[in-house]
Amino acid sequence: MDHRPQAWGRPRDDVYGAYDHSYLQNSGPRQATQAPIVTGTSVIAIKYKNGVVMAADNLASYGSLARFPDVKRLRVFLDSSVIGFSGDVSDMQFLDRHLTELSIDEAYEDPSSDSKAGQLNAANLHKYLQKLLYKRRNDFDPLWNQLLIAGFDGDSKPYLASVDLRGTSFTSPSLATGFGSALAQPIMRRYAATEEDAAKLSREEAVEVIKECMKVLYYRDARSLDRYSIAVVTKEGVELKEDEQLEKQSWAFAEQIKGYGTQTV
Amino acid sequence: MTSIGTGYDLANSIFSPDGRNFQVEYAVKAVENGSTSIGIRCKDGVVLAAEKVITSKLLKQGANKRIATVDRHLGIVYSGMIPDGRHFVDRARDEARGWRDNYKTPISTKDLAGRMGGYMQAYTLYQSVRPFGITAIIGGYDSELETPVDGEVGSGPSVGAGGKVEGKKHGGPFLYMVEPSGLYWGYYGAATGKGRQAAKAELEKLDLSGDGESTGLTLEEAVKEAARIIYVAHDDNKDREFELEMTWISGADGPTKGRHLEVPETLRKEAEKYAERMTAKDVEDEEETKEGGDKMEE
Amino acid sequence: MAAMFSQNPLMNGPNYSFNDAPRTAAPEGARQHRFDPYTDNGGSTLAIAGADFAIMAGDTRLTSGYSINSRYHPKLFKIGGTTADQKDATIVLSVVGFAADGEALKERLDAICKMYRYRHGKPMSVKACAQRLSTILYQKRFFPYYVYAILGGLDEEGKGAVYSYDPVGSYEREQCRAGGAAASLIMPFLDNQVNFKNQYEPGSGVGHALQERERKPLTRSEGEILVKDAFDGAVERHIEVGDGLQMMVITKDGIEEVLLPLKKD
Repeated sequence: MDHRPQAWGRPRDDVYGAYDHSYLQNSGPRQATQAPIVTGTSVIAIKYKNGVVMAADNLASYGSLARFPDVKRLRVFLDSSVIGFSGDVSDMQFLDRHLTELSIDEAYEDPSSDSKAGQLNAANLHKYLQKLLYKRRNDFDPLWNQLLIAGFDGDSKPYLASVDLRGTSFTSPSLATGFGSALAQPIMRRYAATEEDAAKLSREEAVEVIKECMKVLYYRDARSLDRYSIAVVTKEGVELKEDEQLEKQSWAFAEQIKGYGTQTV
Repeated sequence: MTSIGTGYDLANSIFSPDGRNFQVEYAVKAVENGSTSIGIRCKDGVVLAAEKVITSKLLKQGANKRIATVDRHLGIVYSGMIPDGRHFVDRARDEARGWRDNYKTPISTKDLAGRMGGYMQAYTLYQSVRPFGITAIIGGYDSELETPVDGEVGSGPSVGAGGKVEGKKHGGPFLYMVEPSGLYWGYYGAATGKGRQAAKAELEKLDLSGDGESTGLTLEEAVKEAARIIYVAHDDNKDREFELEMTWISGADGPTKGRHLEVPETLRKEAEKYAERMTAKDVEDEEETKEGGDKMEE
Repeated sequence: MAAMFSQNPLMNGPNYSFNDAPRTAAPEGARQHRFDPYTDNGGSTLAIAGADFAIMAGDTRLTSGYSINSRYHPKLFKIGGTTADQKDATIVLSVVGFAADGEALKERLDAICKMYRYRHGKPMSVKACAQRLSTILYQKRFFPYYVYAILGGLDEEGKGAVYSYDPVGSYEREQCRAGGAAASLIMPFLDNQVNFKNQYEPGSGVGHALQERERKPLTRSEGEILVKDAFDGAVERHIEVGDGLQMMVITKDGIEEVLLPLKKD
């Protein structure tokens, strides 16, 4: 499966044959085409006993060019939820502005400072975004993103869910978008295969798993970066660090890799 | 009133021969009958307070708010005709949102006051409308920090052109009052409604003009003073019971983190106790001086 | 798009739902690049009607290509209850295919059933609900909900009722039906075990003299065992089916829900 955002929303190669890129050279009349331009790669997240940990690197790519190396892809909503964006960066900015307006509207009715009750929680936010992205898909004007939403549900239990550009949504103890679904998800499932497993994880363990996954993604995903953002959502709020450096990298394994393409020795 | 019967008071957009717009003056009368609202601008924030007269025992306590949030960092309190105030707030919210849509940045308190002043003034120009029956107090805290543009994803280049003028002070707490004529001015302390005279007298006694770090009222002190002033301005004899409603806005490093929020219940209760104590003392003092005076006469 | 709805196993060998289109080259000349609004999220559903009950079942895996997005994403929904937990619902809907459309379809049908209930002061009959569901599906004839829906409940006489649908609203009442990725694996098994197809009375003769085994409705426990066996078989042979088996049994006393484990490989 091709996990690059460029492949999202396209007819699958193994179903419809190789993708026809000729439209890119077309000098004729412009058609109402849609494709992601500047993109962010994987977002990963895992639930633990008292909350959720999420991470994404700080890179926005322009095709294979590492175009913007200082892009923050984790966004905080109402101090209580985090949204991780992968896919098109301009659509992410649109959504970010839209959510800013939404959070201002929410504060009209409830300006009390010490209570979060009555405000949109992560489960509400996820439902809202699912409806929004599904509506845009129905209009054939999709927002080219896959989002992870982390926070708490109505029962104050840790909540983690995903929505993509078609409005498909699901939840799981751990989630990953893009390449992460192939590279990080198996690692995270070793620690949190079920909700019960996730409820036993400590915060430190969860952060450690996420950092390990970010390292694996940097090793193997060519559209990734070693600077990343990491957020921990707890009942007290969101702790977001936006300029972390991957630590303890070891590229020794690279020596062992042989036999790709024309390489024979 | 000399205007009655002259015909010049019947329509907006017509001046009387001596240069008055009577409709606007009547609107001011509507404000003068409304319950008291005040705003205090101090060195590290803004406090808005309203006296909410309880018109019926059937109204739920703490419900039916008088002070409204417009944007994260902006609040409005008004005296006069409440439905007019509600509409005014709706418009302010639209202005704040429109500004964000256009400029991707929060509207400054000054700009909002300008927009709303213009909006109020437009209602003094046409036959088809009447002026707003409110005077509104707009409080806000414009961030001094380098704030991201809405939707901004990175911090951009660390060197090069752009950024703020060095050495110049940006942002801070602001307070404006808009009147039915559309007139708006910036204030250190503002009061409107029935108790405005007493409230203004009290506001003038406070040290509000100090912009330095060491001088002037702190935000917490301003909250207590705001409570006291509402209590002072309240006329026990004429009015029924009232509820005190207070909101505040601090800078990013203050208690509200740059947002317009309700004053927390514990602090409000504390301020109310302080207000009760101070007003009771005033009455005592008055009585004492009276007694003293009597003795002198004897 | 026609190929997408094809359930014809002759088109290509192993009938994975995402591999059911012929690999023909796109025609030369004018070509259009479009966003593909559909995806197949795999999974399978099954329903059996009994004399005074109906069993609805579905696996809980949600896939996208070779990736498992979630191990617990229910495909069965109680419809038309008056509360959020649907505890007074009398009808169950199962959807399989494109999960976002399934979610949208479920929410629409649920809203319609609720409105009916509030207006008429009684729950909708399965018969009426079945016709309404067909109408909803056909209304989107030219941008269909890509789902195979099955509706289950008890009819006016208290007999188990199962209605099955194609994505554009063609429907019929049946004794049993399998839907989704493993439908072609489960349906023949059901034909044999529920409708006793190809079963004859031993020693009743040869050729036209052969007497078919007499058909009678299954008991509830027979039905539940059959469902579990059908899914165990499907899990073994289809990569998109597994993780969990969600089963709802509708009787005059209400709806009982059972969750059983399936293989997670």
